[in-house]
Amino acid sequence: MSWFATRSAGVRKETSRPPTVVEPDVHRSLALAALFDEIRGRKMTVLDLGSAVGSNVDFFSQFGCKLYIEDLYAALATRVPSGEGDDLAGPEFFTEFLAVPDDTRFDVVLAWDRFNYLHRKELARFGEKLRRHTQPGALVFALISYHKQIPAQPHRFRIQDEENLVYERRTASERPSPRLAPSEVTGLLKGFRVDRSFLLRHGIQEYLLVRE
Amino acid sequence: MAWKKPDDPPGYPHSEPAATVPPRPTAAPAPAPVAAHEPPKRSDRATIGPSIYIKGDLSGEEDLVIEGRVEGKVDLKQNNVTIGKNGKVQADVFGRVVTVEGEVNGNVIAREQAILRQSGAIRGNISAPRVVLEDGSRFKGSIDMEPPREAGGSTTPAPIRQAEPPREAVRETPKAVPEITRPEVAGVKATA
Repeated sequence: MSWFATRSAGVRKETSRPPTVVEPDVHRSLALAALFDEIRGRKMTVLDLGSAVGSNVDFFSQFGCKLYIEDLYAALATRVPSGEGDDLAGPEFFTEFLAVPDDTRFDVVLAWDRFNYLHRKELARFGEKLRRHTQPGALVFALISYHKQIPAQPHRFRIQDEENLVYERRTASERPSPRLAPSEVTGLLKGFRVDRSFLLRHGIQEYLLVRE
Repeated sequence: MAWKKPDDPPGYPHSEPAATVPPRPTAAPAPAPVAAHEPPKRSDRATIGPSIYIKGDLSGEEDLVIEGRVEGKVDLKQNNVTIGKNGKVQADVFGRVVTVEGEVNGNVIAREQAILRQSGAIRGNISAPRVVLEDGSRFKGSIDMEPPREAGGSTTPAPIRQAEPPREAVRETPKAVPEITRPEVAGVKATA
């Protein structure tokens, strides 16, 4: 099935819902600021696991980097379950999802809130894939929710500047949050350790993980 | 009186002071000669209509709008390429400014700028000094953004998968490029 067809089908499903206007929130991001401090002046390869956002592309253009945009949630949402085993996204899904040459190494991974939308086993499988495509020193930026409920779809994140992040909620409906504890995050993402972590007032823990 | 002046439409011939242009009794007012020297812009732009399907590579020296289907490389490095809302390209697209409103399944390599409009979708890699992604557009692949260069920089974009693009300034020697076929006229079958 064509990628365009599956993605457009998803979009149609979205727009058929009654429109919900949710004002975007702007939050200070300490981890993002720390990330930009680390990468300033370097030409990097960045993997963005969120949806394509024009202003983020503009923002990264100042670094002259190579930016990969692979919307993890969109890929999961359009995945056809195999009907075998635990029915979770397996290693072959993540191989197909991140179909880059074996020698591709990312310096920065922008995971945003996408880890909240993975089952713990899926996160471990994806972590393994990420480990293969990063080298020591690579950074992963992730936002883990401590709320009981999270939006049914991930936020769209817009980098306002090096310290501020706009959270654009795309739906009013909710789903349970996995509420990953810090020890679980590092336990599931083997080969990564927490470099910095900040608990923000709005119940989000920001992580800057570094590849060991 | 001074307050009367704004009432005259700008450029209105009678409002010009007689001293600025020597009056030519039979000549038309200023706009006419200018139009006579400038070729109409439309003629610089070829269009592949919605019902046209091309299998093969395309090259040429004029701007191109693709509203049909192309399966083959689109190579117009010196010109602007627009993949219209109905357009579908299944191959790499090379251009000066490449605008995608339809679908591209291949790499987009633009010398100046690549623009992915809201209605557009690219599955492939983009290589351009400046990339514009409109919100709502669909993109899967990588974006290679070289920092802007001084005028007269490289004209040949780096291959997408190359880590370090070539930096030396290479002037493309104009070579005999076959005339682009005008599908709506010739029904075009480009060379496969």
